[in-house]
Amino acid sequence: MEQQKVDMFMMMNNKYFPESQIPYIRERLLAGDENREGLLHSLQFKDPTISLILSLMCGALGIDRFYIGDTGLGIGKLITCGGFGIWAIIDWFLIMGSTREKNLERLMSVI
Amino acid sequence: MKSEEFGVIHEDEKERASGCYVMSLVAVMIGLPMPIINLVATGIFYLMSRKGTYFVRWNSIQALVSQVPLFVMNNILFWWTIRILFCFTELSSVYIAYFITVNLYNIYDFVETVRSAVSTRKGKVHEWYLYGTITDMICKR
Repeated sequence: MEQQKVDMFMMMNNKYFPESQIPYIRERLLAGDENREGLLHSLQFKDPTISLILSLMCGALGIDRFYIGDTGLGIGKLITCGGFGIWAIIDWFLIMGSTREKNLERLMSVI
Repeated sequence: MKSEEFGVIHEDEKERASGCYVMSLVAVMIGLPMPIINLVATGIFYLMSRKGTYFVRWNSIQALVSQVPLFVMNNILFWWTIRILFCFTELSSVYIAYFITVNLYNIYDFVETVRSAVSTRKGKVHEWYLYGTITDMICKR
């Protein structure tokens, strides 16, 4: 892909990915296929801030895990009422990182 | 301080490592009548950070190690207090001395946890007395 397009993509979407992985994503995009560009722009990334708000508001119901696509963990959290409250507390501090990891996985499946 | 040993530390690593100390504080506050909650919470946090970088793992292990004595001391105090409240044993000066010791230790742990959370967020490593050495022995690169 062209450098200008990659720069534009990174500028618009860097908040959705783990900071440590940004140079790697850039490299992969630069080496990526031009034909994949349309697919890349059609990707919808999950906002880490929204997942944090969901975790704070309704973490005990597992809504935050459903939001990022971890349906299994979401059901587990829902059934155990947020892991008896403990898992819900832990997720307040982990959910933003998990959201970014999920976005990275989604991006890597396309490029 | 051994911050140099960890190499380049990214912002998300600092955030996550700092999060484990803040989480242990929140867990202590929320689960205060039941001391097991903070130990379980830091344990799960460590399990979730096992695949993280050395910096994140080191700090989550230190947070976990620091919770073990706290759990034991708070647990003994909790059940001792329950026994006194339900008249299984009498209030003694030994209990009062232990109560003061545990409270002082809790305050020390609170201060150290806050210091660790702040310095970790800045990318520095705050080694606790004794726990830092134990963490070094447990945490592999």
